[in-house]
Amino acid sequence: MQEITSYLAPRSLDEALQAMATGDVTVFCGGTDLAPQTEAGVRRYSTRLMNIRRIENLDGIEEKDGVIRIGALTTISEIRRHPLIAGAAPILAEAAEHFASDQIRNVASIGGNICNASPAGDMINPLLVLDAAVELASWADGAQQKRRVPLEHFFTSPQRTVKRADELLTSVTFRKPAADFVGRFRKSGPRPALEISTVSVGVGGNFSGGVLRNARVAFGSVAPTPLRARHVEAALEGCKLNADVISAALVAARSDAKPIDDVRASAWYRSHLLEVFLEEVLHHVRGN
Amino acid sequence: MEQKVTASTIEKKSLIGQRIKKPDAPDKATGKTRYINDMVLPQMLHGKVLFAGRPHARIVRIDTAAAARLPGVHAVLTGKDTAGLNFGFVRDNVPLKNIVRCEHDEIAAVAAESEDVARQALKLIEVEYEDLPGVFTPEAGAKADAPLIRDNFPGNKSLSFEFRHGDVAAAEAASDFIVDSVFRPHHVTHCCMGTSCAIADFDDNGKLTIWTQTQYPYNYKMDLAPALGIQPGDIRVIQPPVGGAFGSKLDVYPYEPIAALLAKKTGRPVKVMYSREEEFKASPTRQPAIIHMRTGCRRDGTLTFRTADVLLDNGAYTSWGPTIPVIMMRTTSGHYRVPVVDFKAQAIYTNNPYAGSFRGYGNVQTTYATAQQMDMLADMVDLDPLEFHIKNAQKSGEITPQKSFLRECVLAECLETAAKASDYSKKRKEYAALRGAPGRFKKGIGLASSIHNAGGAKIHKSDGIGTILKVDDYARVTVITGASEIGQGIDAVITLIVAEELGVPLEHVTLVNNDSDIAPWDVGVHASRTTFIAGNGTRRAARKAKAQILQAAEKFFGEPADTLELRGGSVVREQCGTPLIKLDRLLRQMHFQDEPELVMVTDYYEPKSEPEGAAHLSDHSAAYSHAVHIAEITVDTLTGEIRVDRVTVAQDVGRVINRLGLEGQVEGGIAIGLGYALSENMQLERGILKNSCFRDYKLITAPEMPPLEMHFIESDCAEGPYGAKGVSELPTIVIAPAIANALYNATGVRIFDPPLAPEKVARAIAEMRQRKL
Repeated sequence: MQEITSYLAPRSLDEALQAMATGDVTVFCGGTDLAPQTEAGVRRYSTRLMNIRRIENLDGIEEKDGVIRIGALTTISEIRRHPLIAGAAPILAEAAEHFASDQIRNVASIGGNICNASPAGDMINPLLVLDAAVELASWADGAQQKRRVPLEHFFTSPQRTVKRADELLTSVTFRKPAADFVGRFRKSGPRPALEISTVSVGVGGNFSGGVLRNARVAFGSVAPTPLRARHVEAALEGCKLNADVISAALVAARSDAKPIDDVRASAWYRSHLLEVFLEEVLHHVRGN
Repeated sequence: MEQKVTASTIEKKSLIGQRIKKPDAPDKATGKTRYINDMVLPQMLHGKVLFAGRPHARIVRIDTAAAARLPGVHAVLTGKDTAGLNFGFVRDNVPLKNIVRCEHDEIAAVAAESEDVARQALKLIEVEYEDLPGVFTPEAGAKADAPLIRDNFPGNKSLSFEFRHGDVAAAEAASDFIVDSVFRPHHVTHCCMGTSCAIADFDDNGKLTIWTQTQYPYNYKMDLAPALGIQPGDIRVIQPPVGGAFGSKLDVYPYEPIAALLAKKTGRPVKVMYSREEEFKASPTRQPAIIHMRTGCRRDGTLTFRTADVLLDNGAYTSWGPTIPVIMMRTTSGHYRVPVVDFKAQAIYTNNPYAGSFRGYGNVQTTYATAQQMDMLADMVDLDPLEFHIKNAQKSGEITPQKSFLRECVLAECLETAAKASDYSKKRKEYAALRGAPGRFKKGIGLASSIHNAGGAKIHKSDGIGTILKVDDYARVTVITGASEIGQGIDAVITLIVAEELGVPLEHVTLVNNDSDIAPWDVGVHASRTTFIAGNGTRRAARKAKAQILQAAEKFFGEPADTLELRGGSVVREQCGTPLIKLDRLLRQMHFQDEPELVMVTDYYEPKSEPEGAAHLSDHSAAYSHAVHIAEITVDTLTGEIRVDRVTVAQDVGRVINRLGLEGQVEGGIAIGLGYALSENMQLERGILKNSCFRDYKLITAPEMPPLEMHFIESDCAEGPYGAKGVSELPTIVIAPAIANALYNATGVRIFDPPLAPEKVARAIAEMRQRKL
């Protein structure tokens, strides 16, 4: 095991970003992915370990100017219980409901779940449906530098993102959905808890008069990264959600998903489940 | 003589059948218990094992020089240090290997000041391998041109077993229906919460003390000694609290002699403890099997014959796994009234992990086959399915073809009770009728039963137990017993029996049962035997102590001993309950009289059963028992997920001793059985385990446990303590085929290779629908 020679616990974002400027810091928040992955040899700690939990103003959920901002340190449990989420984006609470178990939800952070960049990441799917973006901060020229990246473009491959080693994910934001927005999430797993998604499906959009507009569809665990299912979205956009349209969406899903065989499921089962869930979720949306 | 009588009388209150909490439960719940895994001894070193990580190879070169030079390393051992130290059932194992025969073969071991240093040292060991072609299924291993895994086992043949009774050809000719299927029970493992761990220490006289998780401390000495080249008498076994065993600690596994050999080499205590990943790879499995079974019956429902041709994947070494045919054949010949039987089993060496014993011991695999074939036949005969089961259920006094004497047999009562409580017959018919109807979710109900030894199993020369019991001057009782406690609750049972017999509070009973230098002989925790055997031993010892005490009371009070009784910590008149003297006071009087005496008794109990014998024709257990499970499930026909809605249990327990412990055994047994049925599966690819973690090896978790309705049928076993029989394996044995039968009832899909995991079920249903189109 790599020896950790210094442990940092900054109180301010400035302090944290300055420490990260050289890029050789392991950022620790909940540790629910980091610790087991390091133990298993998948990751290595840098010599400097930085606990970001004490940084002020990096947690919490707030709404400002029609935009909902979730701080990176916010735990999955907080999202699951938050009235603002329950009212404006229940799809996030629904995903949080199926996230690991209480013990893990109580410490795992939204920032960590996004940065872990697992194709099976449970919170990523509904955030894609909400068309979220992440805010990345870094330190250069004696000041904080910030950039926004749409979540859809954040992931490059399993466990890899566009975030640079000197950048810290500070928040995830999305526009508060309109009153007619409907969102639904479904993940596989016979176990009610502690199940890594074999497949996850999220669907959202403005739904009125039986017609879905601004359709956004996200798939998990069927490709190297979580993804927006653009072919499915095109098949649904502006359409009345009837049996024909749903059938067309299921066919389109085959163009979006690139599932593989692994220890958890075969490609056949993933494709099969994807269609089952997509159909189920679209029927739920139609039933609204 | 002074006579102190309190005002009120003391009534007889029996504890038998009450709910008694396990004495160690509060410490375990609060985290106070120090398990063996928590133990640290002064000067203790940490041992780590280098595993091969490949299934079959020759070791061309091994260089440990750099590891030995690492500061903090005290010893490095390899196969050449352990050559000739053969151990195991057929002496085919050795602590460290010179040839690799499975992924987890132990190649080298290091003792160091810390686990980290030991781990670093392992990385410095250079090994050059020459990979050899492997054998990964027993069918492949049995082929004439298969690579030979061991020179001295031609054809890769390990153990084989046979039992025949009656004329199969004639019975076949007399059958109206024959079901013929091949079942493939899979690899699963015990998943004890406490990973494998041993601490070894030698004294200067060459005596070894080993702290270990073993569940059979006395024969363990005999099995460990050859792996160390010492005498069994030079081994002291201490059993600290363990985090589960379930049969996995019924043999010696290489980490134990490795810890001892490192201790010998360094002169310091050495602890070897597996990580969870190592535990998955290197601890024993349940024996997988390929069971070709045929069962026949007449149109009127009378069973005519059963045959089983079994091929076992022995794995690379021979532990208890390939001996399971001893029980498989009892089920084949004794599960319902089977007049004609033909059983044979052959184990074949492969380069897979090897199996040990695991709760249910061969019966989990066999009942998965017998109980499904009974369900298949039930759909063919001219009888109501429940009537079909009852018609073939043995009655008290019947003797099976293998000479198991079913003295008290209540299988029919178990069937009737469970069927009535779950409305089985009606639901089975209704759900079958709805199978083809539209709808994504289908309900199903499935019945399964089995038979198991419930009064020990005389597979050794002895199936007995020694007990020493003393009652001190304060009327505190110490029971020194051979019965090991591995979480199963014999501590509560022994405490309860002592309190019942001697009329003392439960808290006044202490158990000493974890040191082979102190406690007397016992065969070990296996075969659902401990409540039966140790219960009898304890009761007999307690009654001897009671007789001595009442004899003294007779002397002091002049009232006949047989009119006196021990109740509420006093000697009382049996008829009216009037107390004569407090027990502690009496004990002191006995101690300090002119002819002083202490209450210290010994007992050796050997059950009335016959040795198994090479012909397998013996009444090998002092009792047999049955259980019936009826599972009600909902199947998502699209995802293949099975939700177990309810399980109704009816089990012959002889008599309930500790109701709380019994309920716990049923719940725990069903949890293990449900994992086997639904989700647990060691995914092996050419001998390499692909899911060595709890993320991908899926145990049943608390939210998936269905509601259980338990009916305990009390057959009052003449030989059992208070009438009790052994209980703990049947719950694991019966549940899986009940689920499989329910799946068929719901969907028309029958799956012969567990687990009934979602993908397998979804695929089977999709394929069936495809065929129908």
